[in-house]
Amino acid sequence: MTTFLVTVGIGLSTAAILSLSAVEFTLEYAVSRIANFAHGEFLTIGAYVAYSTQTTFHQNVAAAAAIAAAVGAVAGLALNAGVIEQFRGRSAITVLIATLGVALIAENVLDIVYGAANVSYNFAQGELHHVGPFLWTTSDIEVIISALAAAGLIYLLLQRTRFGKAIRAVSQDRSLAQVSGIPARRIVMQTWALAGAVAGFAGFALADTVGTFGPLLGFNFLLLTITATVAGGLGRPYATLGGALIVGLALQIAGTYTSSAYEFVFAFLLLVVLMLFRPNGVFVRPSAVAVRA
Amino acid sequence: MYWVSVVTEAGIFAILALGLDVVWGWGGDFDLAFYGYLALGSYLTFVLSIGKPKPPVEYIIGWHLPVLLSIALAVVVVVGVAAVVGAIALRNLRGIYFAVTTLGAVSALYLLVENYTPLFDGYNGVYGLINPGQSALNLTYNGYRVMFLVVVLVLLVLAYLLVQRLSRSPFGRMLRSVREDERAAAAYGRPVFFAKYRAYLFGAALAGLTGGLFAIFISAFNPSAWTPQELLVIYAAILAGGRGNPRGVILGVFVVYIGFIELTRYLPSPASRPDFGPAMRQILIGLMIILILRFRPEGLFRERPGLDRTPAPASQRVAAPTGARSEERGTSERATREEGASKAARRRAGEIN
Repeated sequence: MTTFLVTVGIGLSTAAILSLSAVEFTLEYAVSRIANFAHGEFLTIGAYVAYSTQTTFHQNVAAAAAIAAAVGAVAGLALNAGVIEQFRGRSAITVLIATLGVALIAENVLDIVYGAANVSYNFAQGELHHVGPFLWTTSDIEVIISALAAAGLIYLLLQRTRFGKAIRAVSQDRSLAQVSGIPARRIVMQTWALAGAVAGFAGFALADTVGTFGPLLGFNFLLLTITATVAGGLGRPYATLGGALIVGLALQIAGTYTSSAYEFVFAFLLLVVLMLFRPNGVFVRPSAVAVRA
Repeated sequence: MYWVSVVTEAGIFAILALGLDVVWGWGGDFDLAFYGYLALGSYLTFVLSIGKPKPPVEYIIGWHLPVLLSIALAVVVVVGVAAVVGAIALRNLRGIYFAVTTLGAVSALYLLVENYTPLFDGYNGVYGLINPGQSALNLTYNGYRVMFLVVVLVLLVLAYLLVQRLSRSPFGRMLRSVREDERAAAAYGRPVFFAKYRAYLFGAALAGLTGGLFAIFISAFNPSAWTPQELLVIYAAILAGGRGNPRGVILGVFVVYIGFIELTRYLPSPASRPDFGPAMRQILIGLMIILILRFRPEGLFRERPGLDRTPAPASQRVAAPTGARSEERGTSERATREEGASKAARRRAGEIN
C-alpha cells in the first residue's frame, strides 16, 4: 500500500507537468485548429534557457522559471507569426508536417549550441517531505503547487476576462469573431505567447524533475502530451486537465508494477486504445464519436 | 566504391519512398509508423538468416534460412503487422488523428524493441549479414557491392513500373478520388476503407522489402537506425520531387540523398562539435520541408492529372458544409474540407467548447 501511495505521489507530480504542457497544446489547437508538433520544443527551449542562466541568477529557482517562461513566450510568438499564420487556410495535416520541420530545426540548433550530451541543473532538489500519505521532494511540491496555480489562473483567464472570452470566440469560429469586432489575429498571437510561456515553464519543471536532459527532452514528452490531450479531448482545456491526471497516474502505476522502461510503451498503447474507442476524449459519450479532423 | 554505396542507399530509399507515396501521396494518409515497417523488415531478415544467437547476444527465432527466403518471409510478417495497424487506424481516423495514432503505434514498438532485449537485443541491435552469398557467386567484396547496386536498381525500376501501372489503373484513380473527397467517392460506391487499406498494405510490403535490402546493405541494424527523424527525410524527398508523381518521387529521393546529404558532408565540423555537420543537414532538411510546403507544395513535378479531360472548375469541387476554403494548390485539398466537415459535425454534437 505504501508503494502504491508513493507511486501515486510521483504520478501526481508527473501529471502536474503534463497538465501544463497538455493544456497549452490544446489551447494552440483551439485557436489555430492545428496540432503543433513543435510544442515539445517550447519545453526544451525553456529547459535550456534556464540551464544557461542558472549561474547568472545564482541558482535562484524563481528567476530561472521566469526566464524559461519569458523565452517560451517569445518562441510561441515566433512560431505563430513565422509558420502557423503563414499556413492559414491550409489543411491541418500540412501545418502538422511544417511544425515537424520546425521541431527538427529547433532540436538541431539546440544540439549545435549545447551539444547532444545530456546536461543537468545544479538546483537543490530539497529534502523529502511526508505530505499526508505521499512522499515528495521540495521541488516536487513546488511543481505541483505551481501547476495548480497555473491551472487556476488559466481557468480565471478563460472564464472571467475579456481576453478569455475572445479566445473562446476565436476558437469557435475565427472569421465570425473577426466580423464581430474581435481582433482575432491579435488574440491568436497572445494565445500563442501564453502557450509558449506556460510550456517553457513546464519544460523547466520537467527538466528539474527528471534530472538530466538533452535536445530531445521536449519531443519525447510531446507524445505523452498528446496522449493526455486526447484523453481529455482535443481543444477542450478543462477536460485536458483531467486527461493529464489520468495519463500521469496510469503511467506511473503501470511503470512501478512492471518496469519503468516500459511505462511509455503503456502510454502509447493507451493512446492507440483511446483513439480506437474514445477519440474525442473519455469525458464524451462514445456515441458522439465523429473524428474526421 | 564510395559512390556505389551512395547510389545504392538512394536506390533503396527510392523504393521506400514509392511505397510511402502510394499511402500518403495517393491515399492522403500521413503515416508516421511507416519507418517502423522498414525496421521490422530489416530485423526479421536478420533473425531469419543469421542463425542462433551467441550469448550474451539474444534475439528471437535465429534460423538459418537463405537470405532471399528471409526477406520474403519478413515482407509477409510486415504486411501482417500493417494489416493490424491499418485496420485500427484507417477505419475512422483521418488527418491529424491518423498521424498521432500511427506515431503512438511506432513509438510503442520502438521503445519495446529498445528495452526488451530478448526480441532484437535491445539497443545493441542485430548484425552479421555480410554480403550473403558472396562465395557462392564467386565475387570479390567490391564486385558483390556493385552486383548489389545493380539488383537494387533493377528492383527500383520494377517497383516504378508497378507503381506507374497502378497509378493509371482503376485502383489508383479510386484511391485519388477518395483522397480528394471521401464522401463523394463513397457516394459513387467506392469502398473508402478498403481502398485506403489496400494502399496501406501495398506500401507496407514495399517498406518490408526495403528493410530486407537495407539489412544486406548495412549488415547491422539497431534502434538508432530508425529514429523518427529518418522518416521525415523521406517525406522531405517526396515533397521535393512531387507528391503523387512516381517519377518525381524517385528524383526527389536522389536529389535529397545525394544532393543534400553528400554536399553537406563537406561542411566544416569543428573538433569541439563533431555533430555540427549532421545537425546542419537536419536543419536544412527542416527548412526545406517548410519552404516547399509554403511556396511549392506540388514539388518539382506536379502530380499528373487523371484521364478526365473535362475537369470541373475548382469552385464546384468544394463541397464542405462550412465552405472551408481550400487554398491548397495541387494535391491535398481533402484534409481542409474534412476539417470543415468535422467541425460542423462536432458542433452539431455540441462538443467544441
